[in-house]
Amino acid sequence: MERKVSFSLYAWAFFISLIIFAVGVFIGFTLDSSNLDRISSTLGDTSSRLSSLQLLILMEGNTSAFCPVFTSQLDDIDKQVEKTGYELSYLEDQKGVTDPELKKSYFVQEAESYLLSKKVKSLCGDKSVLLINFYSNTNCTRCKDEGTQILQARDSLESAGFHMKLFSFDGDLGSPVADAFKTEFNVTGYPSVVIDEKLYPGYSDQSQLQQLVKARG
Amino acid sequence: MDLVMLLNYGIAFFTLFVVNVFILIFLEHRDHYKERPKDTGKRPIVSVIIPAYNEGLYIANCLKTVLALDYPADKLDIIVVDDGSKDGTYKIAKGFESANADASPSLRVFTKKNGGKGAALNFGIDLARGEFIATMDADSYLSPGVVNELLPLFDEDDVMAVTPAVKVKPNGSWLQEFQRVEYLLILFSRKLLSFIDSVPVTPGPFSMFRAKVFGEVGRFDEDNLVEDQEIALRIQAANYKIRSSMSAEVYTEPPDNMKDLLKQRIRWQRGGFRNYWKYRHLMKPEYGDFGMYFVPLNFATITAFFIMLGLLINSYISTPYYTKYIWAESFGLGIGLFTFIGAFVFITSTYFLYLAVKSFPEEKVKLRYILAFIFFYWFLSIGYNTLFVYKEFRKEATSW
Repeated sequence: MERKVSFSLYAWAFFISLIIFAVGVFIGFTLDSSNLDRISSTLGDTSSRLSSLQLLILMEGNTSAFCPVFTSQLDDIDKQVEKTGYELSYLEDQKGVTDPELKKSYFVQEAESYLLSKKVKSLCGDKSVLLINFYSNTNCTRCKDEGTQILQARDSLESAGFHMKLFSFDGDLGSPVADAFKTEFNVTGYPSVVIDEKLYPGYSDQSQLQQLVKARG
Repeated sequence: MDLVMLLNYGIAFFTLFVVNVFILIFLEHRDHYKERPKDTGKRPIVSVIIPAYNEGLYIANCLKTVLALDYPADKLDIIVVDDGSKDGTYKIAKGFESANADASPSLRVFTKKNGGKGAALNFGIDLARGEFIATMDADSYLSPGVVNELLPLFDEDDVMAVTPAVKVKPNGSWLQEFQRVEYLLILFSRKLLSFIDSVPVTPGPFSMFRAKVFGEVGRFDEDNLVEDQEIALRIQAANYKIRSSMSAEVYTEPPDNMKDLLKQRIRWQRGGFRNYWKYRHLMKPEYGDFGMYFVPLNFATITAFFIMLGLLINSYISTPYYTKYIWAESFGLGIGLFTFIGAFVFITSTYFLYLAVKSFPEEKVKLRYILAFIFFYWFLSIGYNTLFVYKEFRKEATSW
């Protein structure tokens, strides 16, 4: 028999697939964009809460009477900031969705949260350990693993009664706040960890991190 | 865009494309894909060859249905080839032969040293007298009209083989009920493939051939794990046609336990892969859609399967630790292009399955088996695809 190739069949199937694919891409972008909008809105809410707390500390910061309010408010805010960070990282790691400006705004919020935590720590004798993780998404092979090690160390330490607050900065994003922190703590490479203002450059696994935190705490 | 993302996009697009090709073929032929060919009134001699190895449980039922075929008895030439059975198959078949000695149709029973199904079929082909030769498994049984339904499909001289509607015997186990759904899906897909002259198999349970095809392309490959597929590929390679019927019913007894099912599927996969590799030279425009779509599709599918498996494993391994703190939110964040494409592929595949099942209302498939097929049975393919590649790489011995 004379055989034929059904070019028009495959062309139509390709064309229809392309349309569906394009619609999928459009929906995907729309959803990603709406997720970023929601995160941006959450950042705005958290920022308002941080400003209110800053004002309160400014007004009543010379007495420890308000410490229970400061610590509980700040704990709430820190949890929200941390969660927002995970959401941003999830979009970046799993879907390749990035918004550098949003991330920079997030770092500003983290910085505010860190500075307030430091203030509350000295004012109220809070025993929380403050850990800053400096990483790079472009120039560091062990940074992702270091992030996991820090979280696992934190989970173990929490069950042993230690309270840790985590802050992360992408040092290569060009964020003025992240750069300022890098300068303050003399961070020159990634990953680097700062625990209660002391720099520990290079990779540390979770058991090393636990020892360092216990030594500080 | 990193490699993982690129592979995800590639697999998604490939899956969409394949599903769309099938849907377009269906849409083009939706009004006549179930049409029965008109009976030409011709009644040539048809030889039915039944190779049997340890089929003592089934051979009697099989022969009863062959002897009850709605076809002129003097035009039927039935040949049973006992392939050195150890369970009395030969004796049972001989009993039928004796009882039928003075009657029509002609039933001849032979025995030979065990040599495999291909060798038994070739033994029968050498003895066959018919212008057409039907080959069938001894654990299958036929609807009375099957020969009359299939013969009109040989309406052109270059149609060399015709395949029936192979279905699963009723009242089987739950595993067989899953396979009923699968067989209907295969049958439906094969019918659609017949519209682009790409039927890749002449099923072992029952298939009909022009006798002369064996002279032209050779007889069955005696060392092949899936000789019913190999002969079909050889027919395709000779640029002959294979037609497919939706109405000529043949019932088969599929595996009723996981061990046998796994063994059968690994044999199909290993044999199938080897055959497509052997006939990879067909990937040329002169072999039409079969060469330019169907053969490459087989290689692409197995490649895509392992890429998908790799992506799934990678996705599991690379799930960030912090996801556990935002597991609820991550569902929402995770929705995007792949969710949409995945949903589309799922919906169209399910619709395709629905069309397949709906094409055979007499089968009365229960909804629970369709759902179980979608959500459970398909995933079995992960097991046997992985095992078949593992066994091929290890060059493990093959057997029936």
